[in-house]
Amino acid sequence: MKCIKFIKNHKQFTMFSFFALVIVGIAVFAPWIVPKDPYDAVMTDSLVAPCSEYIWGTDKLGRDLFSRVIYGTRSSLIMVFTLVSVIFVVGTCLGVLAGFFGGILEQIIMRLADMMVSFPGLVLAIAIAGLLGPNMVNAVIAIAAVSWTKYARLARSLVLKIKNSLYIKAARLTGTKNWKIILRYILPNMITTMIITAATDIGGMMMELAGLSFLGFGAQPPTPEWGLMLNEGRTYISKAPWLMIYPGIAIVIVVIVFNMLGDSVRDLLDPRQERK
Amino acid sequence: MRKNRKKWLAGVLASAMALTLLSGCGKSTDQSSKDKGKSEDTMTIAVTSFADTLEPTEQYFSWVVARYGIGETLVKFNEEGELVPCLAEKWNNSEDGCTWTFQIRENVKFSNGDDMTPELVKASIERTFEKSDRAVSFFEPASIETEGQNLIIKTKEPVAVLPGSLADPLFLIVDTNADDSKFAMEGPVCTGPYVVKSFAPTASCVVERNENYWDGEVPMKEVELKCVDDQTTRSMALQSGEVQIAYNLKTENLTDFENKEDYNIQTIQSLRSTYAFMNQNGPLADIALRRAVIMGLDRETYCNHLLEGGATPGKAPVPPTLDFGFDELKDENAYNPEGAKKLLEDAGYKDTDGDGYVEQKNGDKLELSFVIYTSREELNVYAQAAQASLKEIGILIELNVVSYETLLDMRDSGNFDLLIWNVLVANTGDPEKYIRENWYSTSSSNQMGYKNKKVDKLLDQLVKEFDEEKRKDLTIQIQQEIMDDAATVFFGYETTYLITSSKVSGAILYPIDYYWLTKDVKVSE
Repeated sequence: MKCIKFIKNHKQFTMFSFFALVIVGIAVFAPWIVPKDPYDAVMTDSLVAPCSEYIWGTDKLGRDLFSRVIYGTRSSLIMVFTLVSVIFVVGTCLGVLAGFFGGILEQIIMRLADMMVSFPGLVLAIAIAGLLGPNMVNAVIAIAAVSWTKYARLARSLVLKIKNSLYIKAARLTGTKNWKIILRYILPNMITTMIITAATDIGGMMMELAGLSFLGFGAQPPTPEWGLMLNEGRTYISKAPWLMIYPGIAIVIVVIVFNMLGDSVRDLLDPRQERK
Repeated sequence: MRKNRKKWLAGVLASAMALTLLSGCGKSTDQSSKDKGKSEDTMTIAVTSFADTLEPTEQYFSWVVARYGIGETLVKFNEEGELVPCLAEKWNNSEDGCTWTFQIRENVKFSNGDDMTPELVKASIERTFEKSDRAVSFFEPASIETEGQNLIIKTKEPVAVLPGSLADPLFLIVDTNADDSKFAMEGPVCTGPYVVKSFAPTASCVVERNENYWDGEVPMKEVELKCVDDQTTRSMALQSGEVQIAYNLKTENLTDFENKEDYNIQTIQSLRSTYAFMNQNGPLADIALRRAVIMGLDRETYCNHLLEGGATPGKAPVPPTLDFGFDELKDENAYNPEGAKKLLEDAGYKDTDGDGYVEQKNGDKLELSFVIYTSREELNVYAQAAQASLKEIGILIELNVVSYETLLDMRDSGNFDLLIWNVLVANTGDPEKYIRENWYSTSSSNQMGYKNKKVDKLLDQLVKEFDEEKRKDLTIQIQQEIMDDAATVFFGYETTYLITSSKVSGAILYPIDYYWLTKDVKVSE
């Protein structure tokens, strides 16, 4: 009963978490879904238009596009979840440390963050990915390096707000240790805001990763990755438009689903925005 | 509800903004293309980035200087690939074959107004030998002298293709009295129809009319050569009228231009060969592995299906368009994946960790790095196809995509296992110098560590040979040696296209493609 009531009250959240689960399911069960090996190049079937054998057509090397788009879910999701978890954990930890202890530590962390913010994000990411050498892990590192600052600044400001609350002062007075204060009183009071930020970030991060791959700094051939597939298909846009249409649609759908899910998580968790 | 309405409103506003943005975009491009079309004495040509500097003695950058109509050589090739006079009016060879006399054209001025004297021609050729380590692979002069209007080049041994060598842009004539430290960025002082106005490496080069040009009126006041490395962008620039000529378009672009009155398409079975060096200073030192790599590549399918007939499948250094025995050559390493697998197994390459790829004999991972560059789209197709094909026989290929300029550095530092190369075979009107440059053991361009004494010996013989039949014979023998050594992967010989707006006249696709912007290229309504 409770469950049905929850679903009724949060239709958007239910719907999009269902979609998100479906997408994750597609990624997990990709090998059972695809009709063909996404790496299997049948070169005599180069650029075949969508037909009964290849429902979304084939790419230049004669690989089945449908299978590649489905497999692309895997790389995209793995990359984006790794990325968001990394910046979430790193950013939050650094922000909390800076906010709670202040002093020289705060100066170092926050000035570092300011430095990162003073460059245009994607350009700096391209530079870092270019230095490290193009591959998927380095693309994640590059975007993480420019995105953690947002979490650090947010976490710090939240900690500063909470730090001066009466209950923290009371905890100090009773001799509670620092780490206990952070874990018991500070983190639980800020974690929802952080989670909301992370949830709404997934879509955007996915776009940035696909963007890096598109520019050749992320996934490398022959990995099936949507951004890379878009780039590969670009050359044949007038001749074989399906090469860009299907990976494009895949990106749009997944990004919309995760953006909407992020929105509904915010509506759900943030008491200030709750609709009455 | 209220919030929803707000969201809707935001959506509507956003799409309205996007629409205005798009329409604004459309207008502005219309405007600019109209403006360009109006002035008949300027033109824009889309090219692929090829040079960091305009110093002709560096790398292959002299090709750019020649193609952009800046520099000229003593002799040049016509549309049939035959040698015709340019800065030299005529030339002849002494009986022993060691002395070549070139009669230098009179009344030729450099773009700065100075007269081009035989002394300056001599100084220019000497400068090339001094600055470029590639020059000696063409010929080694014993002496260069002037006598009246003649330039006399003596060599210790007879050199059959000396005039053809001097037609290579490397030997284009520059004014050595000018400050040559400025050549790199401001362009060399030469005798061509155009002079450099501004040069931004890998972006664009603007050339303007050379007022002192010796061979008639130069039609265009200013020409911009714009680097558009991306093939799709280049094709679209031509369609939108942003450029009037686009080089290096491929078979897949033809659909956009075929059967349209606004464009002219020229096609030529090209004299270019696309191949991959195999670095013998790494795992590829083993001939069994090299043979397996070549045998694993289905070049026939790459050329006929992937490139849609845009290339002829390769097996030998010299393409079938030149009569150097392509059909007679015996190819031991034709496509044969099963044979390749067996070869690997017999040689001791086994997949010990079960990842589907074989390991080296000593158990280390075998991972070959294949370096390709971006500005030629078909290289990417070859490389990815090679990666897929070699996966079938268990060889792991890592692709490394870089810019052309970086590729040059990587080749010179030997930093590769396989490295793609696309080059004009008959750069002197004959494949001798091309073979010598790439497969002679001490050539500066041979960074793959290929050494075969027999090839060296035959090449040394070929230099001195004037008889056409014997030259052909030697060339066939050399090719057979190179093929038997499995020294290089020959992918294919591509067809070249030149697509121009029909407003452009005089643009000719030369088989020996040193000449892009010539004094005949002009825009006319």
